[in-house]
This record gives sequence, C-alpha cells and structure tokens, in this order.
Amino acid sequence: MNLYEHEAVSSIYKKYKVPHANFVVATEPNDEVAQFVKDNGGAVVKAMVLVGKRGKAGAVKLVNTPEEAAKAVSDIMGMLVWGEKPVAVMVCEKASIVAELYCAITYSTETRSPVITLSMQGGMDVEDIDPADIQTFPVKAQAEVEPYEIRNMLVKIGFTKQYGEILRQASMAIANVYQAFWGAECRMLEINPLAVVKVSKKDKKTGEMVEALDIRALDAVITLDDDASIPPQKIYGERSAYMREPTQREVDALLIDRDDHRGKAGSYVEPEDLSGDIAMMTFGGGGSAVTIETCYDVGLRPANFTDIGGNPPAEKMYRIGRIILSKPGLKGVLVCGGTASNTRIDVTLGEGLVNAIDDLAKEGKLDRDLIWVVRRGGPEVEKGLKLLAECFERNGIKGKIYDSELPITEAPLILRDLLVEHRGYKPGEQAKEA
Amino acid sequence: MKGTSLLNKNTRLVVIGATGREASQVVRESEALFPGIILAGVTPGKGGTTIEPNVPIFNTIEEAVAEHGAIDTALIYVPPASVKDAALEAIAAGLKTVFVITEHTPIRDAAFIYRVATENGVRVVGGTSLGCFVPAVGRIAAIGGKAPEGALADGGLVVISKSGGLTVTTAEMLKRRGHGVLMAMGMGGDIIAGTIYSDLMEELQANPDCTGLVMLGEVGGTYEEQAAEAIQAGKFTKPVAAFIGGEFQEEQEGVAFGHAGAVVERGKGKASDKKRLLAAAGPNVRVARYYHDLPDCIEELGVKPNLDNPASREVPAKYATI
Repeated sequence: MNLYEHEAVSSIYKKYKVPHANFVVATEPNDEVAQFVKDNGGAVVKAMVLVGKRGKAGAVKLVNTPEEAAKAVSDIMGMLVWGEKPVAVMVCEKASIVAELYCAITYSTETRSPVITLSMQGGMDVEDIDPADIQTFPVKAQAEVEPYEIRNMLVKIGFTKQYGEILRQASMAIANVYQAFWGAECRMLEINPLAVVKVSKKDKKTGEMVEALDIRALDAVITLDDDASIPPQKIYGERSAYMREPTQREVDALLIDRDDHRGKAGSYVEPEDLSGDIAMMTFGGGGSAVTIETCYDVGLRPANFTDIGGNPPAEKMYRIGRIILSKPGLKGVLVCGGTASNTRIDVTLGEGLVNAIDDLAKEGKLDRDLIWVVRRGGPEVEKGLKLLAECFERNGIKGKIYDSELPITEAPLILRDLLVEHRGYKPGEQAKEA
Repeated sequence: MKGTSLLNKNTRLVVIGATGREASQVVRESEALFPGIILAGVTPGKGGTTIEPNVPIFNTIEEAVAEHGAIDTALIYVPPASVKDAALEAIAAGLKTVFVITEHTPIRDAAFIYRVATENGVRVVGGTSLGCFVPAVGRIAAIGGKAPEGALADGGLVVISKSGGLTVTTAEMLKRRGHGVLMAMGMGGDIIAGTIYSDLMEELQANPDCTGLVMLGEVGGTYEEQAAEAIQAGKFTKPVAAFIGGEFQEEQEGVAFGHAGAVVERGKGKASDKKRLLAAAGPNVRVARYYHDLPDCIEELGVKPNLDNPASREVPAKYATI
C-alpha cells in the first residue's frame, strides 16, 4: 500500500526521528494554515496525491502570506494532479536548500536483502539521474544499520567533499530512515530530496543566532508491505489498486472474502479505463496471469481480472460468478484454470457457477449470445465439468468445455476463433501473428 | 536412486504446524501415497498426540529431532506471522532444508530468515512454495493433490516455477507430450525467495539424471535475470525452456496482480527484459512465446520424450454446445 506524504511523515518520520520540516495538514483554507504561514514567514503548499512529479503538475506552490496560502490551498484542492484528486494539502515550512540527495531503501532480489540507494544528484526524477552518480549498498537484514556504515556510504558518494561538517547528523538521520524502513515494514521508502539545508541555530558559546547546515527529509514516498504483520489497511484504511473510484462490482466483490476465510473468490479488478468485453473467471495467481496475458496476445480484451483459489465454497463462487457476468458489453466468457491441487471443481464450477447461471436465467438476466470456453483440471473435475455442461444445455448457452488435456493457454485461442466465427468479433491490435 | 538435494531417498520431514486443517490433510495424503517420508509433526501445545495413522506430534522441533535423528527437512505450514519463528527454530535444530508453504510471509521476515539460513548453510524454499515432487521418490507438501500420478510422471526434466498452480499444470502438459520429470518444484512468487533458479543450476548440471530445465518465471524481481547470468557464465549447459508471464502488466508500474513479487519497480523486473536476456544467454535456451509452446521448445533443444504413447496435439472438447 502506498502512503500519502502526510501519513508517512505523521506516523513514520515522527516515530523514528527522521528529521523533517514542520507542517500542518489542511483540506481547505483555515486559521491554522494562516497562523502557520504567518509564524514561519511563508510556506510550501503541497498536494497530497499518490502520483509522482507533483512539481511539474503545478501541485507544489511557494507562498509568502496567509492570503497567498489560502488561495494555494483552494487551488490545489480543486485541481487534478495527473488525473488524481488531492485528498489534502501539506503546508510546510520553507527550507533553504543547499544540496539535494536522493535516498531510497528497498529490498533487492539480487542480494535478497535490504539495499540503501544514495546519490548526491537528488531533486530530479530518479530515472534522470546519471547511473554513474547513484550507488546502491546492500545491508544486513536486521533492525538497524550503524551510523558508521552510513558514513562509509556517504564518503563513497562524495558527500564529504562539501558537507563533511554534518557527516555525523546525516549518518544518524539515514540510520533512522533505515530503522523506519525496517520498523514500519516498508517495501520501499524513498526520500527525494533528502536535503542539506541552511538553518539558524543558537551558538552554544555566544548565545547568538548563527547559520549552520542541517539535514531534512523534504519528501516521503512510502510503500508498505501488504503482508506486513499489521495489515496496512487496518492502520490507513482500504485503498483502491487504481487511481479511480472502485466500481460497484469491485466493491461487491471485496465483500465476498471479508467475513469468510475459506478460499478466495473476491479479487475482482476491472481495467483502469473499465474497457473489455471478455468476462474472465480465472483461477490461481500464475494460472490467471498466464491466461490474461495470452488473451491480450491473441487480441481478446479482458473485462476484468480475477484470481480465484484456495478451494472457496460454492456460495463464494456463486457471488463472484454473478458479479463477473453482470458487466455490460460482454461478448465472451473464459473460465480457465490450471490443474488445481486443492480446489474442488464440482463445488466451484459444478455447484457455485451452475447456480449463478441458473438463477440469472430464471431472473431473465442471462445473455445467451455470450460464447463460453471452459478449461479446468483438478479434484472432481469430471463431475464438475459434467454438471456445467448440463447447465449449458438446459439454459441454451453456447460454448465448449475442456479438461486439463488442453494446454491452459490454448483456451483463449479457441475462444477468439469461436468469437470471430460466430459473432464477427474483431480481435484487438495487440494480436500477434498466429 | 534418482533425486535432488531437496528430495531424495534419505529425505525425512518434520511438519511444522502439522495439526492445522490444511497441514494435517497433507500429512495424511502424503503418507498414504509415499509412506515413511514424514517422521514427525510439531505443534506447540499438542505434543504427545498423533496424526493418524502414525505421525507423532511434538511440542518442539528439538524434541522431534531427538526422537527421530533422520529428520533433515522442515515443512512449514504455520500462519504468516509465525513463519519466522518456525524457520529459525528449524535452523537452530540443525535441519538442512526448510520449505515454507505459507503464503503472505512479511517481506521483512523473509529477508531475515534468508540471512540467518545463509549464515548457517541452510537452504530455504519459498515462501509460498507449493513444495516439491520427485516421482521416483515422493513428494514434499500438497503438490499434485490426492492423485498426482495423472499429472506427474518419472523422467529427466526439472520444472521450477514461481507459480504453484503452473508447477503441476506444466508437469502435466509435458507428460501429455511424453516427458516425465526428475523434479517439479514450486519456488514461490514472493519478493524474497529462499531458493531461486540459479541456486540449483550447478547441482542440476552435475546430476546425470537431469536432462533439462523448464523455468516458469514472471514479471518482477531479478531471479530470471540471475538465471540468465548463470547460464551465460556456463553454469548450466543443458537444455532450458522458459516461459515468462506478465508482459501485459508492464504498463502498470507498481500494481501487483497475483504474486507479491510480480511488480515492476522503477523500470526493473520487466517480463520483456527477462525474455530478451534469457534468449541471449546461450544456445541451450528457448523462450516460449505462448505458455503451451514449452514442450516444443524443450524438444527443439534435443530432449526426447521418455514416456510411451504421448497424447495427440489436437484436443477435442469434452462437451460442446456450439
């Protein structure tokens, strides 16, 4: 799950003592914002969105007065940032930036450990940084890195050439960033920029205000591990996979697995633009992915993605079946899974799906122009496919049913050819040469 | 006798979380199919009980090993939050292989387990592993279900798959074309996988029973890239047929569909790059365009079917209403 910057700063930076700018969060102009801008002699107003490149979208504004701040808050809350509506703004104290570092911590599959990526060329998109200016350091998978390890890294990226006077502060700040990464169970924690800033400090000897350098995390891009020991949605609420409101069908599907942990049938996502004309009833992570992929390859347009598995009871299969078949504009249905080890085919297809079809037919909601292709293997497959075939017969459904003798990815090809032959289907442009 | 370091005639298991619903069913089914591989189970608090007909349950792995010194492998079925505890217990008890079947292990725990295992010379397989099947020996975990003989036949190919379901589906597709397997293994699709393709390549290169490798990979991470590197470095010169799923996800950066590890992050882990690197890794590699091209790929590289009566390529529908 991706966090908004204000969530990341409020709940993670504060807890792990990652130095950051003071701020207030608002959704409309108010007295707190006005007072904050007055006290700090200006501010930076930033849109709280999950997409990147906010600056380029004009969603980060510098303001000097409470009036300017009020206008910036209203403007940003009213805009779309690369299509995404801000949920709030963060009003932060301005920083006097001397240098911008890039700092990210993530898991590397190359070392199968956490890695810290650092560059002196932060402040720009990470893809635009010259690879020669960016270095990645594997660290031991444990709760802490020692600041000396970070100092060794900072020397290697050239930090000490100009900013040696704050080497200790910087190393402790980044060591805290690592602790935050580990402690909050992040999948990725990216700070761009991690800035060297000029601040006014009281000189300990003379008591006078003097300028000094310090380090501040001026951004927070955090992806939490969805499998973290405390599920992120328990802390931050549910979040749609796409940057749009979930459809009613997606919401209905989510409810299927909510109170019943037997198997999984409620994963249902529609393409971001809601397009597609092939209802997909696919089973298992790998089996679903390989089927969807082949669909695109042969020019079929999936209307939804599902990943059903773990031997769900018939009731769950009934519900997801009805949801999948209720999307408008469908032309074909692909029921496709590999050879299940656990999932009972008589229960899922022979009972759950069959009941869904029978009920839709009774209610007059069954579209008999749809063309179906079924391919499935697993426990009680003979019984399950026979029950489904009988259901097709009595309801006048057109289709073909295969068991695991048919390689799984030939099913989309067969459906495409049937659709072309019987319904004049025009395969999409992505279709590869057969 | 045939086998691999993960499963051979000497492999003996303790099942952790053995009294759970899924695990106890797997214990019963596996012992009915291949008796004598599972020597004990562990569930804290259930020590002294038995899974019928004859698998004794202990409170700790240490106790189980003290009673059954032949145990060398742990099979973990505990809930995600307890996986770390169970894996570390197995490592501390001196076992040499740990299969993690549990799905949704926190990444942090997986990385920690991998580190401790590596420091102690222990091999972890998974999380989210389906287990491992060696037709000549038996199986670890539920792979193949109640009637595995329909899908898995003895032969020389090794199937390694991120997807559990596709592990068996692939073995079955190969069997229908006359190819048996030396081993089929689900390595799991987690971000941190304890055992990856390249970890097993040197062993399989040296194993005279292995005639080739069938790799099922997918978008995300760099394990397929590491396999390509190992092949390029000459560590595996036998035939390799690979299928890499997930090209359709490339335009959807950051969106995970299916496995936790199946995400393109900052331009890394694209299926198209994996395919390109594998295809260029050596003349012994074929990358399948469609998944069902895998048997053709392995045959093009000179692997001959070892089973009698391969099925016809034309498959009629079991039922047709059109």
